[in-house]
Amino acid sequence: MRIRAPKDFWSGVMFCGFAAIALFAARGYSFGSAGRMGPGYFPLLLASLLGALGVVLIGRSILIGGEPVARFRVLPLAVIATAICLFGVLIEPLGLIVSLAVLTLMSAWVGAQFRLTETVALAAALVLFCVAVFVYALGLPLNVWPSM
Amino acid sequence: MDVISNLGLGFSVALTIQNIAYCFIGTLLGTLIGVLPGIGPVTTVAMLLPISFTLPPESAMILLAGIYYGAQYGGSTTAILINIPGEASSVVTTIDGHAMARQGRAGPALGIAALGSFFAGCAATLLIALAAPPLATIALQFGPAEYFSLMVCGLIAAVVLARGSLLKAIAMVVLGLLLGLVGTDMNSGARRFNFGMTGLADGIEFVAISMAIYGIAEVVYNLEQKQVADVVAGALGRVWPSFADVKQCAGSILRGTCLGAVLGVLPGGGALLASFAAYTMEKKVASAPRQFGNGDIRGVAAPESANNAGAQTSFIPMLTLGIPGNPTMAMMIGALMIHGIAPGPRVMTDRPGLFWGLIASMWLGNLMLVVLNLPMVGIWVRLLRVPYRLLYPAIIVFCCIGAYTINNKAFDVFVMSFFAIFGYVALKLDCEPAPLILGFVLGPMMEENLRRALLISRGDPIVFLQEPISLAFLVLAAGLLVVLAVPAIRVRREEALKE
Repeated sequence: MRIRAPKDFWSGVMFCGFAAIALFAARGYSFGSAGRMGPGYFPLLLASLLGALGVVLIGRSILIGGEPVARFRVLPLAVIATAICLFGVLIEPLGLIVSLAVLTLMSAWVGAQFRLTETVALAAALVLFCVAVFVYALGLPLNVWPSM
Repeated sequence: MDVISNLGLGFSVALTIQNIAYCFIGTLLGTLIGVLPGIGPVTTVAMLLPISFTLPPESAMILLAGIYYGAQYGGSTTAILINIPGEASSVVTTIDGHAMARQGRAGPALGIAALGSFFAGCAATLLIALAAPPLATIALQFGPAEYFSLMVCGLIAAVVLARGSLLKAIAMVVLGLLLGLVGTDMNSGARRFNFGMTGLADGIEFVAISMAIYGIAEVVYNLEQKQVADVVAGALGRVWPSFADVKQCAGSILRGTCLGAVLGVLPGGGALLASFAAYTMEKKVASAPRQFGNGDIRGVAAPESANNAGAQTSFIPMLTLGIPGNPTMAMMIGALMIHGIAPGPRVMTDRPGLFWGLIASMWLGNLMLVVLNLPMVGIWVRLLRVPYRLLYPAIIVFCCIGAYTINNKAFDVFVMSFFAIFGYVALKLDCEPAPLILGFVLGPMMEENLRRALLISRGDPIVFLQEPISLAFLVLAAGLLVVLAVPAIRVRREEALKE
């Protein structure tokens, strides 16, 4: 058995995965009946439909040809996703300035043409701009400095 | 004359100094960010959503609407000057617009795009003012069965017009609906799909998921594309089109506006479908069609008018039915909900100031676009040279601050990070994110209407076929699916969307 349409195949796998998670998580929700839908009714309906669509996609990908999946570049995605999570971790204890600097430096570093001085200047400009606009002009409750 | 008194009320809201200022800021910010290469209207609106949180709802909607058509216009500027469409709906503008720019006629191309958009915007605004009240009156009669069928029909239509595989688009809708159900069940109070995380008790934050997909995932995806920017900025030429240009374009603008206004109301395509259809029609009806593709000014005027008219009229289903036709409208609905307003036909009767103020501000925003853009094109051109390596960290920063400040919870930032990864994988697998966002917004509403319809009919699903309006929607939805399954039409759709 050969996979002729890898893009469709992996999409199908992804949808089946989500359906499986949903079905598993919804196993305890009461289903009710059509006239008195419980909290599990609509989710189970949708999850089954999603799973069925995933299976069709997988089945079709074996029968009908399609495009290959372009190479994933894991590094930029991983670094940026980590940088975002780090921002979430740092914002409360260390404040806007530190967390934004870390976020900017990390996400700029992973790009193709990284230049240190330029990035430092960019980080400084972004920090200044965000503090001025979000904290002072819009009055959003954000910590600027590390809270001791 | 109801329309006049309604519009009068609208202008009395829109013309307060505060709201004029927000309309101005919106169009300015929208153009400013929309003009930056690689950032389209959806990303722009997603990124700037947080600014609107602190405003009263009227001002927030006026600001967001301004951002939307500002960004739309900014997208055409990049299409003409550097051959990179800021968004899908200005793809056709690149054909003749960029050809004009290479011939040193970038100025008139930008000018006619602005004038065409202005005319289309005015006409479409009037159409909204005329068509929305009767539509809302009809929608007020809808029971849960009609609503459910309408949503099914809207989602199917959105899927049909999405690019790529139909199956994947339907699966994305279903996944979006499921994601929309995360959180506390409105009816029973049961916690669903929270996986033990208290942060998910109120569901997945809409702003976090939309910024993840349209902001972060796009950035990561763009980082690996090598964009060859062909910047034509040397000679702009006169910005104001000559009288001969305007005369030549008058018909195209008119046709584009009509076509765009009609297509914009349909779910799914909106501005995108409108611009493609207008360009194709123009090639068929215009005299000397051979000039199209080589810098014909009509090839800029028609699609630009059409996409603006379409962008404008796509507000109609959003405002009257509470149903988003495209991701930007989904964000508008998200913004309304953040302000505690349930979107739907009641908005017009319960909050006439908001409804008519928004409509009046559209006209005002269009005027501002012309006034703002024609003299300031030189500045936008300089912005085009900002390299992406400086832009994308800024996008990420704004998305993070936005996600965090919705509830001041770090959890929403983590959610955004997760969906950024998902969005990247989906893009890589050619799964369009737009249907997911539409499904996400409609998920809870759809469940509620399904539950109520079936409660009334005591569990008998035949109710969806017995109500005539509901039946009509379902037949339409089924018809669309059947039509798409016919191979010949599918091939033509693929060609049309590829063009």
